[in-house]
Formats: sequence, structure tokens, C-alpha cells
Amino acid sequence: MYKSKWIVAALLAPGLLVVALTTTYPLLAALYFSFHNYKLTRPVEWAIQLGGDSLVTFNSSALTLDNYIEAFTDDRFINSVVVTAEFTFISVGLSVVIGLAIALLLQKDNLWSRMTKTILILPFAISPALKGYSWRFMLNENFGIFDLLIDVFVAGPINALISIWNALPFGDVPLMSTTIVWLGDSFWALVMLAFSETWGWAPLIALMFIGALGSIDSHIFESARIDGANSWQIFTRVTLPILRPVILVIVMLKTIFSLKMFDQVVTMTGGGPVRATQTINFYVHQVGFVRGLEIGYASALSYILVFVLTILAAGYVMYLLKPDYSRS
Amino acid sequence: MTSTRAAKITTAQQSDSASVRGLIGKWLSRVFESGALFLVVVFVLLPIVWLALTSLKPMEVAYSTDIFFQPTFDNFRIIFSDASVVVNEGTNLERSVIGLNMWPSTLNSIIISSATVLIAIPLATMAAYAFSRFRFFGSRALLVWILTTQFLPAIIVAIPFYTLFQGIKLFGEPLLGSRAGLVIVNMAVVLPYAIWMIKGFIDSLPMEVEEAGYVDGCNDWQVLAYVAFPLIRPGIIVASVFAFIMSWNEFLFAYILGRDTRTMQVALTTTSGVNGIMWEQMAAAGMVVMLPIILMSLTIRKNFVNGLTMGAVK
Repeated sequence: MYKSKWIVAALLAPGLLVVALTTTYPLLAALYFSFHNYKLTRPVEWAIQLGGDSLVTFNSSALTLDNYIEAFTDDRFINSVVVTAEFTFISVGLSVVIGLAIALLLQKDNLWSRMTKTILILPFAISPALKGYSWRFMLNENFGIFDLLIDVFVAGPINALISIWNALPFGDVPLMSTTIVWLGDSFWALVMLAFSETWGWAPLIALMFIGALGSIDSHIFESARIDGANSWQIFTRVTLPILRPVILVIVMLKTIFSLKMFDQVVTMTGGGPVRATQTINFYVHQVGFVRGLEIGYASALSYILVFVLTILAAGYVMYLLKPDYSRS
Repeated sequence: MTSTRAAKITTAQQSDSASVRGLIGKWLSRVFESGALFLVVVFVLLPIVWLALTSLKPMEVAYSTDIFFQPTFDNFRIIFSDASVVVNEGTNLERSVIGLNMWPSTLNSIIISSATVLIAIPLATMAAYAFSRFRFFGSRALLVWILTTQFLPAIIVAIPFYTLFQGIKLFGEPLLGSRAGLVIVNMAVVLPYAIWMIKGFIDSLPMEVEEAGYVDGCNDWQVLAYVAFPLIRPGIIVASVFAFIMSWNEFLFAYILGRDTRTMQVALTTTSGVNGIMWEQMAAAGMVVMLPIILMSLTIRKNFVNGLTMGAVK
């Protein structure tokens, strides 16, 4: 239809050039760094004041595999891999399960569910950095609201029951302790980090599921009910199988984002207690910009993460481009 | 005879108790549903409401779970003032607090996000239009390449640009720690995303309108400017809002490459003093970070899910 062939090139060139410069260039540069022993030799503050590339030196210009070999013997890196895997597992699981539960709850179309759907987009609008601070504040062991809620709604009733039991002559059950320092305990800190991430993602995932549920023909549910299926059977035998492709896409997307976790680690736990919440990205940041300015090693570590992400992204892209997958 | 009557009575009783059970069951499930809905609302809103409440609390109340207090804007005055601020004026708790001076950070955030949108969206619109309206050799491969850049961890973009920006000077200042530098790296996140999003919008528009433009005697550029662009505009607006939200909420680049040029996200970290984080000030800064974005996302709520997943889940 367009007369000039050059119009395609003219439209595409600027955008593609910027994408290449800002994504492909760093990818290639980091690959190069990762095979070199490369450190920033002076504290960063000086480097900025003086400027110039003379401060950035290659300690050795020879190609080396040292960075990758070091990664596999670095306890802290292995720790960060384990932490990231645990974090991803918990946050993906929680987000998808809670998201699906919210979606099923809001399936009915009435005023309350419509209003609730509107507020579901709010958590995702909160920046990850602020999310981290907000949860850190709520989880504070001295004045956090989380402890109050636990006291009133969980520990309170349980302890009331325990005290009634203890009033009996043979009752001797210790009361439930409500003094967990959430972010000071390595187990709970990771769980709460994942939970704060779930808070941001579960409502969004619920919206995705609501969209998917809405596109299912309601006759399927009716005929299942006429055939005598109860709600649980309809859920496990009808709804879940239909949603399977959507669940797969969401799990892949959420896994990719969870593996890249960084912002909330900085603002919520700072990687602590000790190293219990140091994700890969956080550790790479430590190596590259805080601990020793080891740019080469940091690049190698992030390449290991890129490798894992590439596999997942390839799966996602292939799924997205599959021609028979109906996306209407 | 008697046996049939007995049978009738038992069935009647059974159906009676069944209907009672059905009623109780219905009532129970309704109670359960309302309770669960309430829980969802609390779960979603609590962190936001709690932050909003805390931002209005005087410092004396902020470090408690009280919800009854005299609301005050002192915290907002503290975070925006560059001198000391008198708080609790007129009460016996009157004292002065050193201001955090977050105006420069707010300004940085506004400038960086706006510049990112103003540069990324025109580039993205042009590229998206080409991808949507022309089939050319390698177009599919290029699109996939653009999509995959979204899965890169931001840290791998930050590392090479950190060393690169140290060496490059713009107007005598190194790019490292400058607003221009942050706008450049923001492109890595925003541009590929915007291209895909706008392409989705253009795909859904029929091509006939543009052909009609040719019939009416427009040339290539006139069709683009007077026919295609007005049609795509709603999509461009939604994409711009998303792009603004993404660059406003961006933390890693600003944290590593921003140095002294703090954005609001990084300025949040400056609320920690010698006694740990000043939560009432953090909450006030958090509100400033959060409110514009909440308002913006409400305006585009219909496109929210689609926009974020680039059409993968509909």
C-alpha cells in the first residue's frame, strides 16, 4: 500500500537502534567483561569526580574462565542461588494460588465484586521499593500492625482456647508466643519477602484469571452441574483443565520476574538477616558495586542468571507464538 | 397401604430437612463469601491505607498502632523543606525537625520519567506502526528479539553502562550520575515494552481507513500524520501512561547509576537517620511516590492486564 519502501526503514531504524544500544550492547559488553579479570580500581566516588576511563582498568587483558570457575566455588553465590530458588518457589506458588482464589471469588457479577476488581490494580501501581518499606514498617516487631492483627485474629483465639484447656486440672499447654521478629528470623524474613511480592502480584494475577474465566462459555459449567457435579468437582474437573494454558503462561511470567528480584530486598531486608534473603541480583550488586567493584565477576554471575532466564523466556516466547493457541 | 404412607412421610421429612439444610448451606456459603471478599479487600488495601494513615500521624503517634489521632501535614512539610521545620505548633510537644529537602528528587523523578516517555513513545509508535502494517523479511525475528529484551535482568544493563557512563561526558559532566544517563538506561526497559504494546493497538485497527486516505490522494507521510496517527492516539496515551509508571517506579538503575541524582524511589532510602528509619517521614514520601501513580493507573484500568502481559493473557 505505501509507495515508498524506505518508509519502513525510516520508521524502524531509530527505535531499533535505541533498543540495540540499550539492551544488546550491555549484553555483549557484560559477556566480554565476564571473561576478563576486571575491577574498578578506586572507590567509586573518586572515579566520578575525576572522570575518564583511566580509573577503570583491566588487571589482565587475557581471556579467562576464572570468573565462572569462581562462581561455582563461591559459597555466597551458591547461597544466593538457593535463596532465589526458594523465594521464587514461595512467591510464585502463593501468587498463583491466592490470585486464582480471588478470581473465583469475584466471578459473580455484582456491585461488591465490581468494586473489588477496581482496587485490585492498586498494589501493582505501588513501586517495589516502596512496597518493601511499607511491609518492613508493618512487620516491625515493636509497632507493626502485622503483630497486632496476628495477636487479635490468630494468637488471641488460640490462646483463649489454650487457657480454657489449661483451666482443666490436667491442662498444661504453653501459650502461643506472639513475639516473632519477622524480619530478624531467616525463615520468616524470606517468607515475608515473598509475601510482600505476593501482595503486589496476586491481585494482578487475579485480574488475568478473571479475564480468562470470563471467556469460558458458561454452558460448560451449567451442563456439568446438570450432570450432578458439585462445586469442587466442577473446579477440579472443568475450570482447572480449561485454565491450564493460562496458568502456565502466568507461572512462566511470574517465575521470570521473581528470579530478577532486587528492589524489595534492598528496602525491606537489606539481604539480611545475615544472608538469608540475598537474591542473585542483590549479590551481583554487592559484588559489582559495594564489596569489591569486581565488574568482571559480577558480569559472570549475572550471565549465569541470564542463562536461566533465557531458557524460561524461550519457553514463554515459543508458547506465545504458537499459531494454534487461541488468543482472541 | 400403610407402608406407602410411611414411605411418603419419610420422603416428605427428608425433602423438608434437605431444604432446611440447603437453606443453611446457602446462608453459610453467603457468609463465607462475604467474609472472604472482606479479607481480599483488607489484604489489598491494608498496606496502602496504613501508609496513608502513618503519613498523617504526628511522630509521637507514628510508632504505634493507634488509629485515632489529630491528623497533621507536618511530615509532608518535613520532607519538602530544606530548613528546619517546627512541628506540633502551638502544643507542648512543639519542636523543630530538620527537613529532608525532597524537592530536587521529586523534580528529578518528574524530569526523568517525562523525558523517557517523550523519547520512547514516538520511537515506539513509529516502529510499532512499521511492524504492524508491513510484512518484511525478518520482521517476526525482530519482534521476538524485542520481546526477549524484556526478560533481561536490569543489573546486566546497569554494569556495562556504569563503566561506559564514567567515560562519557555530556556538557562537561559525566553521564554517570546524570539525569540524561538515567533516561538512556530507562529506554532498555520502556522502549521494547512500548513497541509491543502500541503494536497490539495498531493490529486491532482495520487497514482500510489508511487505504481510503490514499484513494483520497494523500501521500505516505500525509496518511501517517492525518489518517493513521489520530486513530492510534488512544493507544499511544495508554502506552505513555504505562511508560511513565515504569520509569517513575524504576529503582535499580536510579540506585546504581543515579549517584547524587536521586529519584524519589531512591530518596525513600534517605529517610533513615541515626535512629533507623523515620517511618512517619518515609510514609509521607511514600504517599508522594504512590498517589500520582495510583491516579494514573485508575485512568487506564481497562487496559491494565492486557498492557502488562503484552496480550499474552486475555
